Amino acid sequence: MASVTIALPALLEPVTGGVRELSASGRTLREVFGDLVGREPRLKPHLFDESGGLREHVLCFHNGVNTRWMDGWDGPVAEGDTVLFMQAVSGG
Amino acid sequence: MSVRLLVGTTKGGFWLVSRDRREWEVSEPFFKGWKVTAGLRTSDGRFLAAVASDIYGPAVYATAGGSGSTNPDAWEQIAKGPAYPVGSDRRLRQIWTLAESRGVLYAGVQDAGLFTSGDGGRTWAGVPGLNDHETRDGWMPGAGGLCCHALLFSDDPKRMWCGISAVGVFRTDDGGASWLPRNKGVSIVLEDRRHKEIGTCVHGLAQDPVDPNRLYRQDHSGMYRSTNGGDRWERNEDGLPSAFGFPIVIDAGGRALFAVPQESDEHRVPADGALRVFRSTDRGDSWRSASNGLPSSNAWGTVLRGAMCVDDLEPGGVYMGTTSGTVHVSRDLGDSWTNLPVAFPRILHVSAWSERWPP
Repeated sequence: MASVTIALPALLEPVTGGVRELSASGRTLREVFGDLVGREPRLKPHLFDESGGLREHVLCFHNGVNTRWMDGWDGPVAEGDTVLFMQAVSGG
Repeated sequence: MSVRLLVGTTKGGFWLVSRDRREWEVSEPFFKGWKVTAGLRTSDGRFLAAVASDIYGPAVYATAGGSGSTNPDAWEQIAKGPAYPVGSDRRLRQIWTLAESRGVLYAGVQDAGLFTSGDGGRTWAGVPGLNDHETRDGWMPGAGGLCCHALLFSDDPKRMWCGISAVGVFRTDDGGASWLPRNKGVSIVLEDRRHKEIGTCVHGLAQDPVDPNRLYRQDHSGMYRSTNGGDRWERNEDGLPSAFGFPIVIDAGGRALFAVPQESDEHRVPADGALRVFRSTDRGDSWRSASNGLPSSNAWGTVLRGAMCVDDLEPGGVYMGTTSGTVHVSRDLGDSWTNLPVAFPRILHVSAWSERWPP
C-alpha cells in the first residue's frame, strides 16, 4: 500500500476547508481515488461524474502523465507518487 | 427589521444587509469563482446555498447552528447532497431552486429532477414519480438547460407543483408519488411526437398567497394565470409591452405581481435599453410599468428567472439583479426603485429574508 500526494486546484478549497494537498493510499490509481473520496467524500461529485469517470473538464496527472492517456486506472502506484487534479482548458 | 439579500452570481455569492432598505452593507464574495444558483433560509434558521461550476459540478452548502445563532459566513458542504447514481444517463449539472415545506427540503435540479431531504439537508433522495415520469423521453432542454427550476406548495399537504423548462408544469396530488402535466391552454413551443401534454416552456411561477390554486406563469410563449391549480391556463398580458420574460414574483401582503418583460425570445434584451418592471395589482387583469428610478436608457442587462424576489415586510420590498451585475431595490412595492452602487458579475439568483438587527 503506497501513500500518494494529491494536489487540488484552488477552486476546490471551499470543499476541503482550504486544504490543497492531501494524502491517499492504495496499490493502484483506482484504489487511491477510492481512498481519496472515502477520506473526503465531498470531493467525489466535483472530480467524478455519474459515469464513474473523471468529470469532462477535470484533468488528472499521475506523476505528470495524463490519466486519460492511460489504459485505465489499474496500474500500480508507488510510495511518494503525486496525483495532480486540475481544470482542463476545455472547460473555459 | 433588517433585510438580508443573497445575491448569487456566476463568480460567487454576496450578502447585502440593510437595516432600513436604504443603506446596504455589501459583503466580500463567498464561493469565489463558483456560480451561486439558489438560496434558502430553513425553518430552523440556517442558510442553504447551491453552487455550481462548469468544471467541478454542483453542491449544496449549509450554515451551521439554528435560528438566531447561525453564522452566515460559516458554510459547510453537504456531503450527501442531491445526486444521480453512478451509471445513470443523467448528469447533475446545477441546482436551480431550493425550497422547504412542512419540514421537508426540496431541490429542483438540472438535468431536470426533484430531490427531497427529510433530515434537514443531510441526505437527499430523488423523487422517482417525477424524475422517471412517463413523458421523460420527450423532455428536451431549453436554452438554459433541462432544469426543474420552480416549486410551489399548497395548503393540501399532498399537492405541489414544479416547473421544468422546456417541458412544462407538473402537479402532484398524492404527495409526489405521481405527477400530472398541467399545461392546458398554454401554447406548445417544442412539440413532442407522442406526449402532447408537454412541450411548453415555463420560465417562472408565482402563487397567490391567499389562494394556493391561483397560479401565475411567465412562460416562453406568454403570460398566463390559472384559478384552478393549473387545470386550465389563460393568457393575462393586457398592458405588457412583450409577453416574453423570465421572472414573476408576487408580494405576500398586497398580492401585487411583478414581471420583467424582454423584447422577444430572439433578442432577449430590455426593449429600447430601458430596464422596466411591470406590476399588476388586479390579479393579472392588467399590467402597468412600475419602473420609477430604474435605468431608462443604455440598460441592456436583463433579469434571469431566479434573480427577482420580494420580502415579507410592509410595505413589501422587491429586489432584482441583472445580467449586467446591477442590483435594484424597491422598498414600496415598485412605486420607486434604487439602483445600488455595485457592479457584480452576471446575477443568477436573488433571495431576501427579513431579520432582526443585530441578529
